[in-house]
Amino acid sequence: MKVDGTYKKKGGNENQEISVAKLRLNHNDFIMLKFKEITKTFKTDLTAQAFKALDQVSFEIPEGSMVGFLGANGAGKTTSIKIIMDFIRADSGSMEFSPKLGSTRSEIFKKIGFLPERPYFYPNLTGREFLYFLGGLSELRKSEIEQNMTKWAPRFKIDHALNRPLKTYSKGMLQRIGFLSTILHDPEFVILDEPISGLDPIGRKELKDVIVEIHRAGKTVFFSSHIVSDIEEICDRVIFLQNGKLVYDGGVQALLDSHEKKDYLVKIMGHDFTPATKHHSLVKLAGNITTFLIHRNEKDELLKEILEKKADLIGLELIKPTLEEIFYHIRSN
Amino acid sequence: MLNKLFLISFYTFKEIFKSKVLLITLFIGIALMVITYVATEFTYGTPEKVALDFGLGMLSFSSLGISLFLGATLLPNEINSRTVYTVISRPVPRWVFILGKVLGLSAILFINVFILSVMTLACSSLLGGEINAMTILAIVFNCLESILLLLVVVFLSLFLNTTLSTVVSLFILILGHAIKETQTTTFVKERVYLNTLLEFYHMVLPGFYKLNLKDFVIYKQTLDGTYLLSSFAYGTFYSLFLLFMIIFIFNKKNLD
Repeated sequence: MKVDGTYKKKGGNENQEISVAKLRLNHNDFIMLKFKEITKTFKTDLTAQAFKALDQVSFEIPEGSMVGFLGANGAGKTTSIKIIMDFIRADSGSMEFSPKLGSTRSEIFKKIGFLPERPYFYPNLTGREFLYFLGGLSELRKSEIEQNMTKWAPRFKIDHALNRPLKTYSKGMLQRIGFLSTILHDPEFVILDEPISGLDPIGRKELKDVIVEIHRAGKTVFFSSHIVSDIEEICDRVIFLQNGKLVYDGGVQALLDSHEKKDYLVKIMGHDFTPATKHHSLVKLAGNITTFLIHRNEKDELLKEILEKKADLIGLELIKPTLEEIFYHIRSN
Repeated sequence: MLNKLFLISFYTFKEIFKSKVLLITLFIGIALMVITYVATEFTYGTPEKVALDFGLGMLSFSSLGISLFLGATLLPNEINSRTVYTVISRPVPRWVFILGKVLGLSAILFINVFILSVMTLACSSLLGGEINAMTILAIVFNCLESILLLLVVVFLSLFLNTTLSTVVSLFILILGHAIKETQTTTFVKERVYLNTLLEFYHMVLPGFYKLNLKDFVIYKQTLDGTYLLSSFAYGTFYSLFLLFMIIFIFNKKNLD
């Protein structure tokens, strides 16, 4: 229903609404999606106790950003995405889409591209028929579908298989044609649920390259994954869920910086040099190289000592944890 | 919106058509011709009646079978394979999706009925039978019966799993045909509570017997226009009511 120029949707649960409002972050970015205090419980059967899949989860997706949605299996990522896509209704909370997407459900969903997790599609349709079908539903003309198919199919390496039934496609090919169908209508907001799981390393690299290309073209990309390194590699923001609760929502770099250790790894040629600094530890002696771990505050003192003793310094590196290490650290705590 | 409805119906039809389900129709059609040929050798005086009887029976059996088994998997398959997400994540309202799916499957039913009707009528005519309005009406009513059963099974598949929705629908179909005869038995007539129960069932669940004109055609019995009209209206309105309920529930349903 249309209320005061904004699209508001009330589902089975009256507490949930999807509305469009002009939103701004403090740093003057437009918000593509605001997910506000969403709670969702599931009940497997009448006698079973309700299971809380999402507990008061709130986050924002800035326009033009590449946001990674991180969490272990069962953390609530797919449930959140299903609520965003209006497949299921939240028990409470609300959602707001950017007015840039439109003011009605139809306008908004016309500018969203969504790829579900492990899609199977219609086995007896050919790849070409499948793309014509979905392109038509996205209100593309036949010529536009053909044009976009010609542009993207070779990139996804499925141009040779477009006339084959989808049941003859491999898992990777299905993922690639699914991805093609997601971006066929040139959406402003791309939502991907585990898009690169199940692909071989080359397929993953190719798909990540396309995701980066779409993002560079100014599209907002929101993609869930439990593969931390992929998110660290291509995302500028990360939303981290654990057991249905929000653990982190912010920049990837900020998260890495906040967990940065204050130590340096120092590599010296030979085994004769022993630092006079108090806070150091020998990490390893490998070949003819001695490696020390030294506190940041003592770095200058050590460098001075190396120069004085004319030791052969071959490496000095600030230790930075990976997002994966932080992820496991947060999980284990 | 009509364009999207057409697209969903068309590709639903294409997907089912390519699954070679209509091979069953072809098989039944060939069997019909063989049996008709054999019947001419063994029946005395009425081979056209045998052809018509067998043809209409097979037509009913195959279209009800398609409704039952394809209808039960129409929605659960979409949800299990997540294809429904691919469609309704586009600017497509849920009612368009579900109506498109039902129309696509209905088109398969119509083709099945059309092929078998043509073959039945051709065989019967070749053996000297005549094609009258009652025969055509029986075929039209068979279509309506199949669509009604399709809607019953789709409705049940919104709550039950595939096996249960198939079994319960089959049960409703058999009862829907048997209820009229059952109510006329002395056993039921003598028991008021049983009669009331059947009356209640009759009011709520579909009376499929109203849409079965096969016996009237075979035995050349006449039916008055009021009965035909009321039966047709009953089937149509019951189907529309079920369709409305399916759309209403599917709009509210959590697709998880």
